[in-house]
Amino acid sequence: MEEKEIIKRAQSGDRKALANLVKIHEQTIYNFAFKICRDKDKAENIMQETFYSMVKSLHQFDGKSKLSTWLFRIVSNHCLMLARKMKNRLFVSFEDDENVFEEKYAADWSALPNKITENEELKVILDNAIKKLSPDYRMIFLLRDVEGFSTEKTAEIANLSVPAVKSRLHRARAFLRNELSKSLQK
Amino acid sequence: MNEKIVTCKEVMNYICESLGEDLNSEKCIAIKDHLDECSDCKSYYKTVEITIDCYRKYNVKMSKDAHERLMKFLDLNDCD
Repeated sequence: MEEKEIIKRAQSGDRKALANLVKIHEQTIYNFAFKICRDKDKAENIMQETFYSMVKSLHQFDGKSKLSTWLFRIVSNHCLMLARKMKNRLFVSFEDDENVFEEKYAADWSALPNKITENEELKVILDNAIKKLSPDYRMIFLLRDVEGFSTEKTAEIANLSVPAVKSRLHRARAFLRNELSKSLQK
Repeated sequence: MNEKIVTCKEVMNYICESLGEDLNSEKCIAIKDHLDECSDCKSYYKTVEITIDCYRKYNVKMSKDAHERLMKFLDLNDCD
């Protein structure tokens, strides 16, 4: 059965169809929430709140965008709400862009992506680097580069202008690349 | 570093801003020309791509318990 049909059934009160929608999207939403907050318990909590919002508001979903896009908007909002509650955290400031672009290079990066599944040390490096970015920047990097949404769609999900997305994206990319480079040189 | 037409810093900035976009502007052609000739900037470009790839491949699998807790939270556990 196509997702549009499952959505229609869920909107008309079919609970099995609703459960089916949750099962289709739960892994993606959990994974995204984890990538923003880098904590399994928080990711689970955000996922629960996201699907609770979906269940409550599904009757308002007009089908103009994909359900997944709609869910990404909800999960992004929940992630940012949680982040705002944790105001005491300090994140990197991009007031001085001069420090973002450094011209030193690690010797060999080529094997890195293939090591990620089994290398816990590399995961820690990636976690530590992205945790320094404020959640606003993390979200844009993850939506655009990791989830593969277009710049325009990312702007729509994040409720930002396209230039604002581009500005956050290029700073996030450069910052993460430099953090990885510094850690690899240690 | 090759700094004939555009500087390396400009190239690095541009790489981070435009990676993944559809690029046909005059500036982009100048950047591509620079990348062809400048091994440092080419390395930089590659390392930005690898950084993105690392984050793409770093996924976490949701546990069966977390799934069950979710269905219970939504009061949908009887439909599971």
